[in-house]
Amino acid sequence: MNPLLREAELIQTRRHFFGRAATGIGTAALASLVNPELFGDQPQTQLGSMGAPHFAPKAKRVIYLFMSGAPSQLDMWDYKPQLQDWYDKDLPDSVRNGQRITTMTSGQKRFPIAPSTMKFRQYGEHGTWISETLPHTAGVIDDLAVIKTVNTEAINHDPAITYIQTGSQLPGRPSTGAWLSYGLGSMNANLPSFVVLHSTVNGGFGGQALYARLWGSGFLSTRHQGVALRSTGDPVLYLSNPNGISGTMRRKMLDNLAQLNQQRFDEIGDPEIQSRIAQYEMAYRMQTSVPELTDISDESQETLDLYGPEVTKPGTFAFNCLLARRMAERDVRFTQVFIRQWDQHGNLPRDIRRQCGIIDQPSAALIKDLKRRGMLDDTLVIWGGEFGRTVYCQGGLTMANYGRDHHPRCYTKWMAGAGIKGGIVYGETDDFSYNVVENPVHIHDLNATILHTLGVDHERLTYRHQGRDFRLTDVHGNVLTDLLA
Amino acid sequence: MKNLILYTALTTVLLMSPFTAQAEVDFSRDILPILSNNCFQCHGPDSAQRTAELRLDQEEGAFSELPSGEFAVVKGKPEHSALIHRITSEDEELKMPPADSGKSLTEKDVALLRQWIAEGAIWNKHWAYVPPQLPALPAAVKGWKQNNPIDLFIQARLQSAGTSPEEEADKATLIRRLTLDLTGLPPTVAEVDAFLADTSELAYERLVDRLLQSERFGEHLARSWLDAARFADTHGLHLDNERSIWPYRDWVINAFNQNMPFDQFTVEQLAGDLLPEPSLNQRVATGFNRCNVTTSEGGSIDEEYYVRYAVDRVETTATVWMGLTAGCAACHDHKFDPLSQKEFYQLFSYFFSLTERAMDGNALLPPPSVKVPSEAQVAEKARLNSESMAADQEVMNLLLNADYTDPFTGTDFPEYEKLDKVWFDDELPEGAQPQGNTPWEFVEAPEHPVFSGKNSTTRTGKPEDGITQHFFTGAKDGPTIAEGDILFAYVYLDKDNPPESIQLQFNDGSWEHRATWGADKCFLAGRDFEGNRQKGPLPETGKWVRLEVTAAEVGLKPGVKLNGWAFTQFGGTVNWDQAGTVGAPQLSEEQKGSLAIWEHYQKTVNNTAPDNLDKIFEVKAEERTEAQLAELKKYYMENVNPAIAAKLADPRKQAADFKKSLEDLEKAIPATLVMEDRKEMRIAHILERGEYEKKGEPVESAVPAWLGSSPEDSPKNRLGLAQWLVSPTHPLTSRVTVNRYWQHFFGTGIVKTSEDFGVQGEQPTHPQLLDWLALNFIESGWDIKGFQKLIVMSATYKQSSRVDADKLAVDSENRLLARGPRFRLDAEVIRDQVLSVSGLLIAKIGGKSVKPYQPEGLWKPVGFGGSNTAVFRQDSGEALFRRSMYTFWKRTSPPPSMSIFDAPDRETCQVRRARTNTPLQALVLLNDVQFIEAARRLAEKVIADGGDSVESRVNYIYRSVLARPPSQKELGIVSSLFNEHLEEFQADPEAAKQLLSLGESGRNEELNSTELGAWTMIVHLVFNLSETVTKG
Repeated sequence: MNPLLREAELIQTRRHFFGRAATGIGTAALASLVNPELFGDQPQTQLGSMGAPHFAPKAKRVIYLFMSGAPSQLDMWDYKPQLQDWYDKDLPDSVRNGQRITTMTSGQKRFPIAPSTMKFRQYGEHGTWISETLPHTAGVIDDLAVIKTVNTEAINHDPAITYIQTGSQLPGRPSTGAWLSYGLGSMNANLPSFVVLHSTVNGGFGGQALYARLWGSGFLSTRHQGVALRSTGDPVLYLSNPNGISGTMRRKMLDNLAQLNQQRFDEIGDPEIQSRIAQYEMAYRMQTSVPELTDISDESQETLDLYGPEVTKPGTFAFNCLLARRMAERDVRFTQVFIRQWDQHGNLPRDIRRQCGIIDQPSAALIKDLKRRGMLDDTLVIWGGEFGRTVYCQGGLTMANYGRDHHPRCYTKWMAGAGIKGGIVYGETDDFSYNVVENPVHIHDLNATILHTLGVDHERLTYRHQGRDFRLTDVHGNVLTDLLA
Repeated sequence: MKNLILYTALTTVLLMSPFTAQAEVDFSRDILPILSNNCFQCHGPDSAQRTAELRLDQEEGAFSELPSGEFAVVKGKPEHSALIHRITSEDEELKMPPADSGKSLTEKDVALLRQWIAEGAIWNKHWAYVPPQLPALPAAVKGWKQNNPIDLFIQARLQSAGTSPEEEADKATLIRRLTLDLTGLPPTVAEVDAFLADTSELAYERLVDRLLQSERFGEHLARSWLDAARFADTHGLHLDNERSIWPYRDWVINAFNQNMPFDQFTVEQLAGDLLPEPSLNQRVATGFNRCNVTTSEGGSIDEEYYVRYAVDRVETTATVWMGLTAGCAACHDHKFDPLSQKEFYQLFSYFFSLTERAMDGNALLPPPSVKVPSEAQVAEKARLNSESMAADQEVMNLLLNADYTDPFTGTDFPEYEKLDKVWFDDELPEGAQPQGNTPWEFVEAPEHPVFSGKNSTTRTGKPEDGITQHFFTGAKDGPTIAEGDILFAYVYLDKDNPPESIQLQFNDGSWEHRATWGADKCFLAGRDFEGNRQKGPLPETGKWVRLEVTAAEVGLKPGVKLNGWAFTQFGGTVNWDQAGTVGAPQLSEEQKGSLAIWEHYQKTVNNTAPDNLDKIFEVKAEERTEAQLAELKKYYMENVNPAIAAKLADPRKQAADFKKSLEDLEKAIPATLVMEDRKEMRIAHILERGEYEKKGEPVESAVPAWLGSSPEDSPKNRLGLAQWLVSPTHPLTSRVTVNRYWQHFFGTGIVKTSEDFGVQGEQPTHPQLLDWLALNFIESGWDIKGFQKLIVMSATYKQSSRVDADKLAVDSENRLLARGPRFRLDAEVIRDQVLSVSGLLIAKIGGKSVKPYQPEGLWKPVGFGGSNTAVFRQDSGEALFRRSMYTFWKRTSPPPSMSIFDAPDRETCQVRRARTNTPLQALVLLNDVQFIEAARRLAEKVIADGGDSVESRVNYIYRSVLARPPSQKELGIVSSLFNEHLEEFQADPEAAKQLLSLGESGRNEELNSTELGAWTMIVHLVFNLSETVTKG
């Protein structure tokens, strides 16, 4: 259905309602304005452009754990034991095959191979190889679909992360979460449908930059952009009443404001006025629903233990994973947790252990927690970064220490839950984890698959902009049917 | 009831076509959109995607014989036209468009195509690519008010749609609407009063003229232009460091205020640098196409970014001047419009040969840039220059008048002493913070080797640890490096367990000063340059060895100060002891008094004399010519002799001070990014799929000929491009520009898709009016202010914006303009409005961008650690209260209160803003300190100037904010709320004090807190009214 017509229709419905209402409008009437029952199944603020999903969805919501900076697949997932024999030997030209590389290493005289120092073991029913850096994740391996052949064209962080998040290396396109908000609307009238969480590393931020465009709405309406929930200050910007204004004063003010606006509507007849009245009510409800969301005091000790010792510190990855589960419970459509500092050009063995130490337990806990609540069935969880890292060393190489440059041709991500087969490993790379030899998964394919689990045909979720029907997957993307249960 | 029927009729008409009901089919209006939407994907301009050798975007293609022997279109004969057969076929195999295309034709589409062919299949170009034709003016509708031809066009359309215009809005509404539209600020109470009191027929026009003369006009119009120009204060990509290009923003404001004609405005921005002898202002104007996002991310490939920047410039230029979605043709021929890929790269070629670098260096001023001094700075520079020259002259005079005879006549030259200056031994220098892989370990003799004092430091590294080290930073009073200095340290390598490599590193603020001995395994292995010198093999083991390296060879410049030192090794056991610098021996003051001694010292110890003197030194003293002697003596007297130096000290200091002031001034002069072409132009190529490394055919700069040819004699560069755009026969520039102005006042353009006038764009609601306006604009000499006046003088603009329910039902977007414009104010206007009515607004125009309030901790979670915009530091004082267009725009984390109200991100060109209505907007208005503070300030004025009664004060607030008095009902509601708030604050006076303490401008302490608090609440309530954030 044409979104414009729908909009007009909704306005009509609202007008109709207000036309019948007695003069003046009190709190009770306002509350009912946003009461779902008043408008049938779904509250009026929540419909997306698609109206209904293209087909029956498996996932109701998505939690995307984004490892910004690009974690090394070679030291976590893509086990290449034979590389031990290649220590400090040059990557054969036949493998690199003229592939472009970043100017950080293109000047290097040699491309000496750095075998991983990590010990790998097999886990789960299918004997998936996982390195010692991820003991907790190994414990939930039977729920994960590990994809070893994700690939992209971008070789630098800014274009690569913009690409995977928006389908284009250049700024200007909507992010995945924004597309979903646009297409599917929101399921909770009291919370944003797309929430972004930033995680601290050892109490601070740092590492490769992130950009508002990564959760931006591009050419879609700004109402679809992700709302970054903050760990200090107001969780949602401007959420708290100013000092000196009590809850009762605020309520009184809002009632009078609504009354004055309603009077103006009676005179002027502009439905935008009524929409604004409704938005004020939603803002008011967010003032309670958001603090209730971020207050984890009602979580059991057992649950807290599941996520590990950092879980009680706001802003940590563990806290954010727990928050993500709480948002899933409240039907936030798309939650994206960012953690940075995976960009290990040097001292990789040490730094990747630090990073894994932070993410391993909470990521696994999130899977377990969702599962035992029966929510993994309709929640899609995704883990991974914007590209992978090279088999050859950047900088000084020893048996114990090395760095790795950016590698776009293959890297590992995993998906779990909501219609995704658990316990499988998809795709195979060559002996150097340099090229894909079987089942390549372009990031467009990955995004097409994410949309698919939500009942969205990635070719049909479009928006006409500058004369062209744009999509998240541009003109590419194939749904990875092999991954679907 | 009659009305109802009329509106039902109107609905039908609107659904059928966005135009007035017309019996005849018009190709460009009715047929082309159907073909474009449903057929062009495979039968359009894109040669790569074309199938069945059928091309429907060109007349020839549609009427010529197909390989099958059929004809797609046979004029006058739908039954013989293959097109009709295929679109009506029941056979899934034959049916067009094919099922898997996701496209389908409606019955109406089919009927229109059939009708078009039956009527003779008249073919013409897409309307926007045909130059505008002056239309006949429609007849005036009797009984309706018309002020100028705009009304004739609008009303003719209203009449044929069976509806009618609204009455003129009341004067208070008009002055608020007009002032907001022309200046972005609300009228003051005095301005409203004056307008209401002026009963002359000319009152409104006088108001228009006054507002067009206001400097606020230029600011307001510049704001939306800056959206299009993607102006911002940071680079946008990766580090997102600050960039200085605000002088360009100020240029735009000035251009609008001076009413620069739009053609000149165009030429200067696109090609000011290519005009004959361009003025500084004309060069500043070219900042338009330096506003694009740039990167300096490590690892990026230059070629790729040169291409991206040029593509962005083509896209932006095409969108802003032509409403053309050129970007589609970067990868393939445009699918809908006639722009071929080759033509895209011909446009691209105009922007591909700048002197800019691909990597912006994260610099404030990535070249090319120009300095933009203010008038005062120019004057000050002239003054300092002349003072400085006078001071130099005085020094020169003193030198000329000085006399010198060498007191030393012997041949027995003195010995010069050279000394180690130990920096640390046995303990670290003061302030040093010891760090390392493991802590510093001090060991003593006799168990361990010690070179001097009571201890040495030691470290044993395991091979698998790789590089290990201990070091310190932060030492106070470290040695200042002088010319010729040497750095030294004593080292003892264990005989049984020697390291593979050792390295000394020195910190003068950076660690990029290293010297390595032994294997190349320490930091920066594989490289030998100032940052890392390879000094040869490891020293002998089992004994103390002195390591030396000159400051110069590790890049330590004279004058820098050391604060840190690192001992680094790769494996092995190493002891370190005593370290410091060796200064070159210096002459005493007395020795310097002799030219002969000084010459001897130069020759034997440390030659710092310039090259020309070296040549004289080589000549025996007695064989030197007069000229050589004079040259030597002159240098000596000027630079060495202490007695003369003492005499010259004061004048020299003065001269130096002037130079310093000049340097400081030079640094304070702002600069801005500009365009500049390379001397040797780069060759542009068609890039396959838009990929920079897939070069195809080379192309030269050229304009797409189907949009009209370039004016004769216009150069083949950006200047030629700009001249082509503003040539009076160009079909798009004027239409696109007037459409944007229309959008500014009415909320939506005559062409709704103001960024796309192509085949896929929306059709104009009033095509003849658009043409009339476009030609009128060109005729007027591209008079921007005149054009704004034309619009606001129209009866159409002046209509009441009351929303009639029946009109709303059929035309919810008010495209027919059966009422006046009414929509939410832009983000900047919402904030500026409260600053203005509260008296907080600072009137200053232009200058560096400012950082007013924003919630804490927004930049940190996203910023790159090394970025100079990773941490937000709020400004204070006046900077908090400037117009919002001066707010510092960090692209990767824009000011949230602006973004929430739909300000674009400024990463790409934007000519049309969204207008949403969200709960986050309510939260900004309810809780942002800026609005509370402004409310308090206006409340203070209310108490001072609003009379004594509650009623008169409420009246004052309404008139200040909304330009109208409150109704009786509103007065009742607001007054009683005031009393309730007053009671609440009386019960809790502390709460009032807290509220009043918000914001940095400080409350008026003389006013009673509870009363001021209650009025603050009331003003804040009025700030939150829907009416306040709406232009009505």
